[in-house]
Amino acid sequence: MRQKTFFSLVLALTAVLCFSAMTFAGTLTDIVKRGELRVAVQSGAAPYAFVDKHGEHAGSMIDFTKGMADAMGVKLVVLDFDWDGLIPALLSGKADILAADMTPTLKRALKITFTDPWIEVQPCIFTRPDTDFQTLEDVNKKGVTVGVLLGSTGETMAKQYMPNAEIKSYKGGGRMVVQALIAGHVDAGVNDDLAVLTVLPDFPPNSVRLLEKRLGQGKDPLAFAVNHDSVNLWQWINLYFKTIRADGTYDKNIAYWMEGTDWKKDH
Amino acid sequence: MLADFNLRIIFEYLPLFLTGLRSTFFISAVSIFLALIAGTIACACRISSIKLLKYPAIAYIEIIRSTPLLVQIYFLYFGLPTLGIRVPEIQTGIIALMLNSGAYIAEIIRAGITSVDDGQIEAGVASGLNYFQRMRFIILPQALGATVPPLLGQSIVLVKDSALLSLISVMELTRVGQTMTSERFMPTEAFLTVAFFYMCIYFCLKALADWSQRKLIYREAY
Repeated sequence: MRQKTFFSLVLALTAVLCFSAMTFAGTLTDIVKRGELRVAVQSGAAPYAFVDKHGEHAGSMIDFTKGMADAMGVKLVVLDFDWDGLIPALLSGKADILAADMTPTLKRALKITFTDPWIEVQPCIFTRPDTDFQTLEDVNKKGVTVGVLLGSTGETMAKQYMPNAEIKSYKGGGRMVVQALIAGHVDAGVNDDLAVLTVLPDFPPNSVRLLEKRLGQGKDPLAFAVNHDSVNLWQWINLYFKTIRADGTYDKNIAYWMEGTDWKKDH
Repeated sequence: MLADFNLRIIFEYLPLFLTGLRSTFFISAVSIFLALIAGTIACACRISSIKLLKYPAIAYIEIIRSTPLLVQIYFLYFGLPTLGIRVPEIQTGIIALMLNSGAYIAEIIRAGITSVDDGQIEAGVASGLNYFQRMRFIILPQALGATVPPLLGQSIVLVKDSALLSLISVMELTRVGQTMTSERFMPTEAFLTVAFFYMCIYFCLKALADWSQRKLIYREAY
């Protein structure tokens, strides 16, 4: 009998300890203690995050998160996920930060907390040169198929602005949508202009035509994201961006990755 | 953990899940049927003594068995259009699953036929039965008994392999799970439901195989 009481006491104590450890451990403290900053990226998205010709992770967001890890004094660990696996990766605690070309939407913000946007991109419509589409109205018709990335804002926008067209969603990065377009499985595609322009050199020249450079508001902010309970990490990332905007690191990063194509020589 | 489980979302997505289930069921049923035909033909060619039939059949079986199904699907979907052949998603999926399973089924049937003892065939020859009579009355009834369990296994593999079609935007069960995950970010709820529906299909197939084994095989062979 005494043994049983003792056993249940130990169990209860362990449970309380575990619970309190879960409640009070701040993510920032965890990261420093662990010595690793785990970042979830979608590596099919040059110039944000991709695997370069040396087989290493590279891109604008890899540089930013590398800077964060250096500032924390920890190692950067990059984890690859498919687009629709990014938010679950954060929710299940596999990653501390979600660093993808993700737009903060109200729906997504129900599950995760977004930092202040660090850039704005433009969603665009693209098509093959042999189609006779001129405007959004030409695409928004019955019998036209539009390719998008599963779970992307491109998908939401396509559904919103092209309700008459048939939407096909693909997995595996923006490259797959361009591939499907060239193969003729879709007549048009919707994605961020940067995401489209950077994969074009990998395909035969003149195989894709940008139809409309701006869709909807024409502005699509991108932000990093953390878990709801990582308030300190969220504030820290916002402070990090303020700091690097002030010292010029931010402008250098954007100029190198977003505004020019010189990085293609090195990566 | 369990308290976070959101049952309401599953019911909200139930119509979509049922669409996915219907699609998986349809694709699998058609593919299994076609694969059985393709496999039987491939096997007949494989064991025939005519070289013009035998070697292409060997090439087909070996090429399919040595490459992943995903590569075959991508080749049919993204590769063939550059050669001027464009097939829509569901048809691509059915063709890929048929070709893939067909190769395995050919080998399963061949194993069943070769498992029949040589002495029985010799006895058939000695009794004056011709080739087709030997096949009909001696070899096939016994071979069929030996092939039904592995054929069931291959059919189940095919049903599960059909999940790969989600990668070429076919709206089947797995894709419904992915869609729900990307819209509501609840992978646990989504994929548990998907797994449940796959299990339903599995038990239907198993019941069908048990029934066919009782009805067809034992009466014929024993």
